[in-house]
Amino acid sequence: MGGDSRYLGLAYVAPYVAGLLIFTAIPFVASFYLSFTDYNLMRSPQWSGLDNYTQLFTRDRTFRKSLSVTLLYVFMTVPLKLVFALFIAYILNYRLKFINFFRTAYYVPSILGGSIAVAVLWRYIFADSGLVNMAITAFGGEPVNWFGDPSNALFTITLLRLWQFGSAMVIFLAALQSIDKTLYEAAAIDGAGKWHTFVYITLPLITPVIFFNLIMQMVQAFQEFNGPYVITEGGPLKSTYLLPLYIYEEAFKKFDMGYASAIAWVLFAIIMVLTLIAFWSSRHWVYYAGDKRS
Amino acid sequence: MRKTTTALAVIMAVGAGSASAADLRMSWWGGDSRHVATQEALKACGEKHGHTIKPEFTGWTGHQEKVATQLAGGTEADIMQINWPWLPLFSLEGDGFADLNEYSDTIDLSQWSQAQLDSATVNGKLNGLPVSTTGRVFFFNKATFEEAGLPLPATWDELIEAAAVFKEKLGPDYYPFDAQGGNDGLGAILNVSLVTTQMTGKDLVDPATNTVAWTAEELQKGIEFNQNLADKGGIRDWKTVAGGGNVDLFELPAWSEGKIAGSYEWDSTYGKFNDPIENGELVPVGLLTVEDAVTEGVYRKPSMLFSISKNSENPEAAAQIVNCLLNESEGIEALGDTRGIPASRIAAETLAEGGAINPRLLEAHKLVIEAEGPTVSPFNEHPEVREIFKDALEEFAYGNISAADAATEIVDGVNGVLAKF
Repeated sequence: MGGDSRYLGLAYVAPYVAGLLIFTAIPFVASFYLSFTDYNLMRSPQWSGLDNYTQLFTRDRTFRKSLSVTLLYVFMTVPLKLVFALFIAYILNYRLKFINFFRTAYYVPSILGGSIAVAVLWRYIFADSGLVNMAITAFGGEPVNWFGDPSNALFTITLLRLWQFGSAMVIFLAALQSIDKTLYEAAAIDGAGKWHTFVYITLPLITPVIFFNLIMQMVQAFQEFNGPYVITEGGPLKSTYLLPLYIYEEAFKKFDMGYASAIAWVLFAIIMVLTLIAFWSSRHWVYYAGDKRS
Repeated sequence: MRKTTTALAVIMAVGAGSASAADLRMSWWGGDSRHVATQEALKACGEKHGHTIKPEFTGWTGHQEKVATQLAGGTEADIMQINWPWLPLFSLEGDGFADLNEYSDTIDLSQWSQAQLDSATVNGKLNGLPVSTTGRVFFFNKATFEEAGLPLPATWDELIEAAAVFKEKLGPDYYPFDAQGGNDGLGAILNVSLVTTQMTGKDLVDPATNTVAWTAEELQKGIEFNQNLADKGGIRDWKTVAGGGNVDLFELPAWSEGKIAGSYEWDSTYGKFNDPIENGELVPVGLLTVEDAVTEGVYRKPSMLFSISKNSENPEAAAQIVNCLLNESEGIEALGDTRGIPASRIAAETLAEGGAINPRLLEAHKLVIEAEGPTVSPFNEHPEVREIFKDALEEFAYGNISAADAATEIVDGVNGVLAKF
């Protein structure tokens, strides 16, 4: 290996580093600066100190509403999605007929789920005269106003997220398959039932993967935009007005870039704090192979 | 082959030597028909004046963000199609775009009325040229009204009476009109504004004081009027509209099937609303007015402007192209009515003589032009004003606040926004 190959390596990473700097690092730092300014795109930013943050925490009712909706959404979506993904992965871990077909079929929504097309489809499925209400009325039930009732709208958006459980499921499936089969055989000999085997063998052994999925899903859920934007545009009564929608509207509808940056940084801080809490708590419930505690 | 190459080289050399030849860019939003027509027009006008114009076009969604980012970075196109309500956002002091008064030798400004030019002028600077004038009119589905045995309504009272007949003869899910909710609340905002203007004779904003012209009591009556329409079954209520998700009215099966048989829309959108109708056609109708109306209260405005970038390196060439698009036969004929009925007199006359305009669109436009009402302030469409309006009307529609509280919230909130300007 001569010096040339060393430069070749640098050349290989250069496009990525350039992209990281231009599209992530510089905007990241710039947005932090802008969050302390009054900036409407048309004039150069005017330093305003903590004004944006003060307004955000003391006078902005929309922010409070949007924040509570976002937290509710994340706390509803993430656990439900993890449980659901694990449940499906557990079923797909059995040697069933056509198992590969089922694995693919359950993964497909994850590929499609983030797209606008599926959000549009969701809008039609849950519309007042949509597929779900047709099914409910066919069984003699009363149609439900999924999007028009503030208490249902967020739940409907949550379902869309839940439906995209595929990527978490695949990771769970890989973890389940990596568990040593002899542990199950030993447990069976000792007379352990399915439930006990799952709780005392499977779950502890996949805690690193649960932890990984928890962090990833939480971060993604905080950044959800497409679903509520396309399906309800944040309504009714701002019941689906997640923070990313608020950031978008402040930045690109009202051109208040400084304020939008401040909201974005608050969102970043929330994600950071919750991630740190998750990492701190992981010492008590995540077990790694070779861990002396186990 | 050699001869052809030599000829090309000579032509290119002559072209390069021409002082007036310029490379320009033009940006706009629109649908396919507008994209095709505009590219043809640019080609024709470019050939006529010896310039090349690179087209940059998108759909409506995201175009404002694109223009804003370009203006912020100084990379905007030489010629831009600008939405009229964007003027206070992008050119508050009038210096966001080139002042077209400076190019009056190149652009024939006499093709526009003074009122039209005034609407595009900020601080004495002509920020753009109105491409077309648009306004809201009523469209009704003739077939549905005939099925109910009713003539098209001419007053609000007739519309309310029609609601009862619709329910009785056609079914509970039939409505003669639509003016409530939706996720942006636009239907409700515009209808409340219309009836409040009719009752008071004033637009939302008093231009003399730059404050809300309506009292909270006056606006409250407008809000209650719209709610009464929903209570009587004349329009769908807010919750029902929201239940359909974030979908445009003209995309709803209830619209194409004629179950929702009327709306209050831009005249230039006649085709968009008429195309999906399965039976019969939409008929444009003059503004329904409240009892003792002070004015018809037409909501009329320049639909869009052609502006020239203040950073353009070739503003004179850009002005030639703008004049060609709006005032010269090459541009007029190629553009047709893809941006509504042209505001330029010569363009409107040329198209009308050539029979290039849909007669119903012409009828709708005539209603808009002939109706009277106070001048509409662009602040009606300011995003913060719209948001305040929508939030208060929605809270009222869901029964969380009274009409009086909603009116007070709107008046105070909009005054707060106006105070910033």
